[in-house]
Amino acid sequence: MGELWIALLKAFELILKRDPEVMQITLRSLRIAATSTCIASLVCIPVGGLIHFYSFPGKRILINIIQTLYSLPTVCVGLLVFVLFSRSGPFGGLGILFTPTAIVIGEVILITPILLGLTLSALSGVNISIRDNALSLGATEFQAIWTVIREARFSVVAAVIMGFGRAISEVGSAIMIGGNIKGFTRVLTTAISLEIQRGELEFALALGIILILLSLVVNIIMNMIQQR
Amino acid sequence: MLKIVDLHHRYNFKEVLKGINVEIKRGEVFVLIGPTGAGKTTLLRIIDQLEYPTSGRVYFDGKEILTSPGLRLKIRRRMAMVFQKPVVFNATVFDNVAYPLKVRGYRRKDILRKVGKMLEMVELKGYEKRNARKLSGGEIQRIALAQAVISDPQVLLLDEPTANLDPLSIDLIEKLILDFNKKQGATIVMATHDMSQGERLADRMGVLMEGKLIQVGSPREIFYNPKNVQVAQFTTRNNILKGVVSQNENGITYVDVEGKIIEGVSSFQAGERVYVCIKPEDITLSLSKSRTSARNLFPARINLMSFSGPLVEVELRCPFPLLALITRRSAEEMQLRVGQKVYASFKATAVHIIG
Amino acid sequence: MKKLSLLGIIFILAFVYLTFFTGESATGSSSSSSRKERLRVATTTSLYDTGLWDYLEPIFEKKFNVELDVIYAGTGIALEYGKRGDVDALAIHDRVREDEFIKQGYGINRRCFACNYFIIVGPKIDPAGIKDISPVAAFKKLIQEGEKNPDKVKFISRGDDSGTHAREKKIWEKAGYEYDTVQKSGPWYIEAGKGMGPTLLMANEIGAYTLVDTGTFLAYKGNLRLIPLVRKGKELLNVYAVMAVNPEKYPHVNIKMANNLINFLISDEGQKLIGEFGVERYGTQLFIPCGRGKCKKVGCPTWKECAKPVR
Repeated sequence: MGELWIALLKAFELILKRDPEVMQITLRSLRIAATSTCIASLVCIPVGGLIHFYSFPGKRILINIIQTLYSLPTVCVGLLVFVLFSRSGPFGGLGILFTPTAIVIGEVILITPILLGLTLSALSGVNISIRDNALSLGATEFQAIWTVIREARFSVVAAVIMGFGRAISEVGSAIMIGGNIKGFTRVLTTAISLEIQRGELEFALALGIILILLSLVVNIIMNMIQQR
Repeated sequence: MLKIVDLHHRYNFKEVLKGINVEIKRGEVFVLIGPTGAGKTTLLRIIDQLEYPTSGRVYFDGKEILTSPGLRLKIRRRMAMVFQKPVVFNATVFDNVAYPLKVRGYRRKDILRKVGKMLEMVELKGYEKRNARKLSGGEIQRIALAQAVISDPQVLLLDEPTANLDPLSIDLIEKLILDFNKKQGATIVMATHDMSQGERLADRMGVLMEGKLIQVGSPREIFYNPKNVQVAQFTTRNNILKGVVSQNENGITYVDVEGKIIEGVSSFQAGERVYVCIKPEDITLSLSKSRTSARNLFPARINLMSFSGPLVEVELRCPFPLLALITRRSAEEMQLRVGQKVYASFKATAVHIIG
Repeated sequence: MKKLSLLGIIFILAFVYLTFFTGESATGSSSSSSRKERLRVATTTSLYDTGLWDYLEPIFEKKFNVELDVIYAGTGIALEYGKRGDVDALAIHDRVREDEFIKQGYGINRRCFACNYFIIVGPKIDPAGIKDISPVAAFKKLIQEGEKNPDKVKFISRGDDSGTHAREKKIWEKAGYEYDTVQKSGPWYIEAGKGMGPTLLMANEIGAYTLVDTGTFLAYKGNLRLIPLVRKGKELLNVYAVMAVNPEKYPHVNIKMANNLINFLISDEGQKLIGEFGVERYGTQLFIPCGRGKCKKVGCPTWKECAKPVR
């Protein structure tokens, strides 16, 4: 218990003193997770709309696959991205490995199933007549899909929040494809991992507390958007 | 304006529309009448491009709507539909009514102006900021109407727009529909099962039953010259009275209804509780107790008379309530008045007794 | 609607700010670090966890105006990075595999630059009685006592293909045991599959023995009740070497800067820094500088080559 208290105090000390390295790591965590979430949302929400409204052969199987991928192990994604972007790999020439971009790619892959699946779920909850209504009132197909998405906005924002949560807590693939490089690809989660390795348990806990606080702040903001 | 040619539609292996052929003229109010499940909603949805018919063609202003993809959106934007149970978007009243203009790319200034005018017309002024979902049924229906009308459609489709509404709301909506028809010259196609509403609003009516368009014509034509029994039946109502069987002699059943005995034919035995059904058109009214072959003859007082097309519904008290349907001619010949004492008679064979 | 637009604008602005205007490097320099040259080095956890790289990094970066990306992983993974061309240089401590790496044509310009010792640490009560005996004898005793009393005598192996793990396996071989025999010999032998820190923590918790390098052991921040029990023996020598990935295999390798790093580590300045590291804090050196031929003293067969700076 004593350790937890020390950790809590240390966390506040780090925040208040605005320890530069911790700030940098925190902002990087936020930036990478936010970028991943934005990219994934921009893709998954419209695609979710398309999947929901159009029938095609294998639709049911696709939805099953998406839901199975919710529990995609992060090490698998990390390994996949590593093998793809390593210099010996097909996309090696881009030199993306061990950069924040690689972490973003990994996180986007990880949260896409969640965002897609939850968006589909959200859209299923919308009254079927809404689309007919929208079309009848003169909307194009895309406008109608967008209108339904807007009707489901509460649940869709919830999906985005969930995606963000998943992204910011990512550690396995982030270490493997980011390299946890100080000042470049180190984020809160990977820093925690390192400090545990070094035996700095209280510092690791403190970073963990900061991570939770960060998630809390982001959540509060997202909730405000959700409520309006 | 609208021409429907040989329209068939199959849904879940059931043929819902069987060979519909009709032409609806520009600027007319065409009322589709028929019982629930006849296919009215399906027909309207097909016209509004929300469903593709199994076979047949629909023409809008001379252009076929169902096969020209580029034209489809344009045509759809010249029509509007108000659904039976309208669903409004989870947004403010203003956003809801502004929606058709937004999707058509109107400028903000124009939207503000038009929405304001429209809300006034449907008597929802001041409701702009309220959440549309939280309004009453009547208010939601008016929003739906406002949404449909605001884009100035050439064809307005309405599916039972006043079902489940209070009389005041019904009045308002009917007024709006007629206004829109007269002032904007819009063609109205409306589905309803309310005969009197059809009569009030229609230039022409189409009777849709079990997927077939049985008769098309002015309300007068349909009432005076119903094409078949079904049409005639649809335009009328039934009497259903509760009673107890007091006696049964070889099938002739005597049913005690509020102290009076009605004779019918059945196999129900004494003591059983039954319902007595008599079709209003099987009831004959006369001023005197003339000798008829009818076994049922009751003195009655006229409570109410409603003129419905070529027929008159006469509500009687015998003392049990009875609805008789007689022709206008007979009513006029007998000079029937409310409060008058008459004799209602009907044959025992016209009495259906059910358990 | 208006409220959302305002919020949305704030959101977007914050996002843009975070993405484009947050400095990358730890020094908070305003220039975007992606424009600077980068050198990627894969190193072992024992070099990294001690903080040696944190110490050397800013000095090297300033001297050569380069961004040094230090990626740490077990020796096995580091070699894999090298074989795949994902890094420009390696700094590890497994002679056998280093030589193989060079033989396969992946590595060039190998130079020893620092060394320390492995030690066997364990609980104070020393149930297996290995204090101050030779490493080979200690291992023999551990397996004997461990098989007899698995509740009292336990050993935790890194089990992760790291340099430390490789050394452990070598000592088992010298003690006359096939490694898979050891692995199957009983519940006394635990394969942690973890980094050195968590392994030490585990050993601490359950009162087990383990093999660790002096640097990591001294620098471990947690409170350990383990004490060094076997400290001397030529099998415990731990030599760290640095080498570049061969540009002939991977043309994109920043060979110039990799050579700079190698030379830096074996330069007077580098050697001095390595020798000073940790003295103030821990009271003793964590690493003994043995670049530029000093590795002869610890038996490096190629000490002559190590003596020469890289061209």
